[in-house]
Amino acid sequence: MSPVIVIAAFVVMLAMMLAGIPIAVAMAVVGIVGGISAYGVPFLDSIAPVVWGVQNDNLLTSIPLFVLLGELLLRSGIADRMYLALSAWLGRLPGGLLHTNIGSCALFAATSGSSVATAATVGTVALPSLIARGYPMRHSLGSLAAGGTLGILIPPSVNMIVYGSLTNNSIGQLFVAGIVPGLLLTGCFMLWIWVSSVASGKAIREERVPLAQRMRTLRYLVPPLVVFGAVMGSLYFGVATTTESAALGVIAALFFVWRAGRLEWGVLRTCFISTARVSGMILLIITAAFILNLTISLTGVAEAMTKWVAGLGLSTTGLLLALVVFYLILGMFMDVLSMQVATIPITYPIAVAMGVDPIWFGIFIVLMCELGMITPPVGMNLFVVHGIRPDKGDISDAMWGALPYVLIMLGFTMLLIAAPSIATWLPGRM
Amino acid sequence: MKDRIETALATVFGAIFLILSVVVAVETVARKLFNFSLQGADELGGYALAVGSTLAFSLALMGRSHIRVDVFHERLPRRVQAALNWLSIAALAALGVFLAWTATKVVFDTLDYGSTAQTPWATPLIWPQSVWYVCLLVFALVAVAYAARASWLWVSGQVDELNREFHPKSAKEELKEELEDLGTRRVSSGGPDGGRS
Repeated sequence: MSPVIVIAAFVVMLAMMLAGIPIAVAMAVVGIVGGISAYGVPFLDSIAPVVWGVQNDNLLTSIPLFVLLGELLLRSGIADRMYLALSAWLGRLPGGLLHTNIGSCALFAATSGSSVATAATVGTVALPSLIARGYPMRHSLGSLAAGGTLGILIPPSVNMIVYGSLTNNSIGQLFVAGIVPGLLLTGCFMLWIWVSSVASGKAIREERVPLAQRMRTLRYLVPPLVVFGAVMGSLYFGVATTTESAALGVIAALFFVWRAGRLEWGVLRTCFISTARVSGMILLIITAAFILNLTISLTGVAEAMTKWVAGLGLSTTGLLLALVVFYLILGMFMDVLSMQVATIPITYPIAVAMGVDPIWFGIFIVLMCELGMITPPVGMNLFVVHGIRPDKGDISDAMWGALPYVLIMLGFTMLLIAAPSIATWLPGRM
Repeated sequence: MKDRIETALATVFGAIFLILSVVVAVETVARKLFNFSLQGADELGGYALAVGSTLAFSLALMGRSHIRVDVFHERLPRRVQAALNWLSIAALAALGVFLAWTATKVVFDTLDYGSTAQTPWATPLIWPQSVWYVCLLVFALVAVAYAARASWLWVSGQVDELNREFHPKSAKEELKEELEDLGTRRVSSGGPDGGRS
């Protein structure tokens, strides 16, 4: 298998995707056509067990469960109240409510997997008060768009499950590996808000909220923290597998939905439909990805590409920097999941052959996907925050507002490359 | 009609995963606290996914949730858009039929060998597989029906209607759905803090 054919096939697949053909179809077509041209029609016989194998894989059961868990907390209004609690606690920092935006998104991220839902919920609660209090529009939009990206880095993250299942890595380790980088990146965002608002000389601070009142708002933080604790605690201490931890999370979420008096049919119905749509979309793509993976592994594509890249004489750092550029460009045009499934089967074996830690590489890929969410022209979160702003300004406000965060994330990626233990230290202690 | 089918399928889907969550959570706690295992919760999870995921394929199709990249789509002439929209749904239908066809092979193999799961339960695999097979057939049928509708619109020259029904879901639309739900959430809970403070 020559690298030229592989790259040509990859380009054809990308072209189909960019033309608007469903992602799952584009992957399946390339997989099936590639397999048949290498092995003839009998290749089709080997697909059947793969399809059953993927759809009967207990690990992937965690995807609908985690999606359901996020939906339950979101649709029952539990997540909305987190913003109130956090604004009481973080509003005093220079930059005021902008910190609350980042903090809420991070906490939201710990329970929900959907970035549209996260940015929409936090944004609609936040934007009216941000405008009333005179925060610059660009800063407000930028912090919301960037905060929303934290969702896929801070566990539980469906994107990490996708990475783990495609590359056969431990989801528990990936989740745990996301914690420190997730917290650090949240910290970097807040530090930037602090520094930039002090430097602008017009730092906005919120009124001090009396301590008693602040303490009362803490109860709004209990549900997300308990759910996060149940999921991550059971994983970290090895009590439960990924799917078991997701089930525990769903039960905990159900309890809080019931406590909030929202355990009613209307809420459940919305959760079910939404969960089914999202999981159906993800799982069809994963099924197609495994068909493509079968072709890739049978035809030795990974080995050929690895040899080719090794022949280029790149150092590991050089390779990673090249990948940053590659993903940055791809992320401008593709959504997160499509980008992941289309590239991981090729980039993962190359990176691992060059001595990159598989868990670390998962965090790296997720970071690259986060960047894609806020880089124009197709930054999902840019559209979302732009869509919810009450005054009808231009989308360029969201893009300029998010730019500092793009630079922070690029800087953070360099830090991660220079100090890989940021990601590998905590899972190493499991 | 479509709403009712959607609700019915989603109810089955939701029930599968809620029941699974209860069983798995009980099993996990019982195993850790009382050293007692039901055995087979894993196996059950696999079957739940087989049935749930294939049901969800149809639901995602009805909600137009199977992702398509729409960055260039809007800028194309409307006839080209229509052609791509038709091609997309036709290709999804083809994928649906293909998956149903591979499932037929799986089911026949299972019947020929009388396969059972390699687990303490030794479940005859034909039980979960036949439900899985039916769900994949449903997905194939729904997709073919949509493709037929799109073909008819194309042949009868209703290009704009074809584009309206089959264009990729944009972030804007997804956001609109999200905001509508947010609206009902606010109304029924009486304010962002649920009327509790």
